[in-house]
Amino acid sequence: MSATAYPSAPARATVISRTLKAEWTKLRTLPSTWRTAALTLALGVGFGVAVAFSEVSQWHTMTAQQRQVFDPTSASMSGVMIAAVVLGALAVRTVTAEYSTGMIRSTFGAMPARRLVLAAKAATAAAFAFPVTLLGNVAGFELGQRIFAGQHAAVTIGHPGVVQAMVFGAVAVSLVAVIGVGIGGLIRHTAGAATILSLIIVGGLTVGQFLPAGWRQYMPGIATQAAVTVHRSAGLLRPGTALVVLAVYAAIALGAAAMRVAHRDA
Amino acid sequence: MIEAQHLTKRYGKTVAVDDASFAVRPGRVTGFLGPNGAGKSTTMRMILGLDTPSSGSVLVNGKPYRELTDPLRSVGALLDAKAIVGGRSAASHLAWLADSNGIARSRVTEVLELVGLSDVAGQRVGTFSLGMNQRLGIAAALLGDPETVMFDEPINGLDPDGILWIRNLMKSLATQGRTVFLSSHLMSEMAQTADHLLVIARGRIIADASTDEFVSRNSTPCVRVRALQPADLAAALTRRGAAVERCPDGAMIVTGLDSAAIGGAASAHDITLFELATHGASLEEAFFELTRDETDYHAGQLAGLSQGA
Repeated sequence: MSATAYPSAPARATVISRTLKAEWTKLRTLPSTWRTAALTLALGVGFGVAVAFSEVSQWHTMTAQQRQVFDPTSASMSGVMIAAVVLGALAVRTVTAEYSTGMIRSTFGAMPARRLVLAAKAATAAAFAFPVTLLGNVAGFELGQRIFAGQHAAVTIGHPGVVQAMVFGAVAVSLVAVIGVGIGGLIRHTAGAATILSLIIVGGLTVGQFLPAGWRQYMPGIATQAAVTVHRSAGLLRPGTALVVLAVYAAIALGAAAMRVAHRDA
Repeated sequence: MIEAQHLTKRYGKTVAVDDASFAVRPGRVTGFLGPNGAGKSTTMRMILGLDTPSSGSVLVNGKPYRELTDPLRSVGALLDAKAIVGGRSAASHLAWLADSNGIARSRVTEVLELVGLSDVAGQRVGTFSLGMNQRLGIAAALLGDPETVMFDEPINGLDPDGILWIRNLMKSLATQGRTVFLSSHLMSEMAQTADHLLVIARGRIIADASTDEFVSRNSTPCVRVRALQPADLAAALTRRGAAVERCPDGAMIVTGLDSAAIGGAASAHDITLFELATHGASLEEAFFELTRDETDYHAGQLAGLSQGA
């Protein structure tokens, strides 16, 4: 040890990469992270299969026109909603678990650039959500198409728009994870923040029913659903637009949280 | 080195830390002594840039904490050992801290060894006892081999072996030339560990002096004496200006004269002594003396003490 020689100032890029590395180490060394990923896949794929069977069971009651607009891709990837809720809650916990235990003080003691810490949490949560959701989408799609094959309604992965839907769905859930980090930074309590996030995602399906159709499509959960569509359907945004809408929510939530976290006593 | 200038923290109308100016210097253990709720933890959070002062400032190694680059390499702190997410292993907890400041992972193994947690390095922190958490917190504080270390109530929850270990660790860190700042509400602990004291009560720094100086200024030593002719001795001592208190067992507690003067008085009057023992004043006594009357330390009486450093 030397009392006088302090390490020279690392470049901004070094600080950013260290912060990202620290937050990634935190995320991957929590066993619950991997349990959550397994849960997301099990529930998400299971939900997609359930939706697929439900569609098939109603196939004989559908009109020719309904069959024509039926989107076997999005139906088989209904699990993105589960992924949004479960991985969104995981993202919430990366912030709230530290506030509730008080470990946030160790975090901000080691990394005083608080906005950067929040951004790193958002980046790692999103980076984790992406492959997990993508894997779930591929699995859901493959299983779902086998179920639809009986009605000759199946499509293949080479079908136009299918790969895009898989990727867009994963991007949508990654953006929901960023929203989760933002809400976590604003609310700071796990139960409260996770509840609010769930309401925002699932709320579109319930409260959203009472909103004018034009508004409903902008709710985060509905936008997440829109991201995995191949066929253009009424009441849903175009997939690309849906991602832009989610990105705007993510920016607002994270920006508001960054302002709050930076100025409050930890 | 920690330097505070008029450091103040208000929460609404409550003043948690009131115009505190002090310096914590390298090469010695500085104890931060005060009752619970006196403002010790708030002061430490402001030092670490976690809480923003209402006014005043505090510098660590010449800079505000939040401007330090790789702060763990300059300052290691343990605030609350239980403030940790329980799902990670001890090694993983130290690993993210190391990553955050560009510290080699090999250092994690070293500090775990140093605090005696190598055997439980892979165990979930949530299963740790408070004593193990304290050791992990100390490992985290030492991770960056910092010049300044700061511990808030580090002996809470430790067994006697652990307390001895911490005491020796603090002293050895100070001997290495580091700045060691240690808070406690336990005076006996401070008396044994701290070379220098910063005493805080109700948010105000009421003393800044070496431990010995603090004790001698704020308490009165007394002498316990037993004589063959107690009445004669009492009369002789009283004439010399001492206060004499008789004990039921026949001994006397004398204040105002030291043992040499008492021995001299006894000799001059041919009084036979069979006990003569000086009772050194304790830190505890000194502390209570100092804080007995809240109004006292706003007055000039303690002005000398606060310049003690």
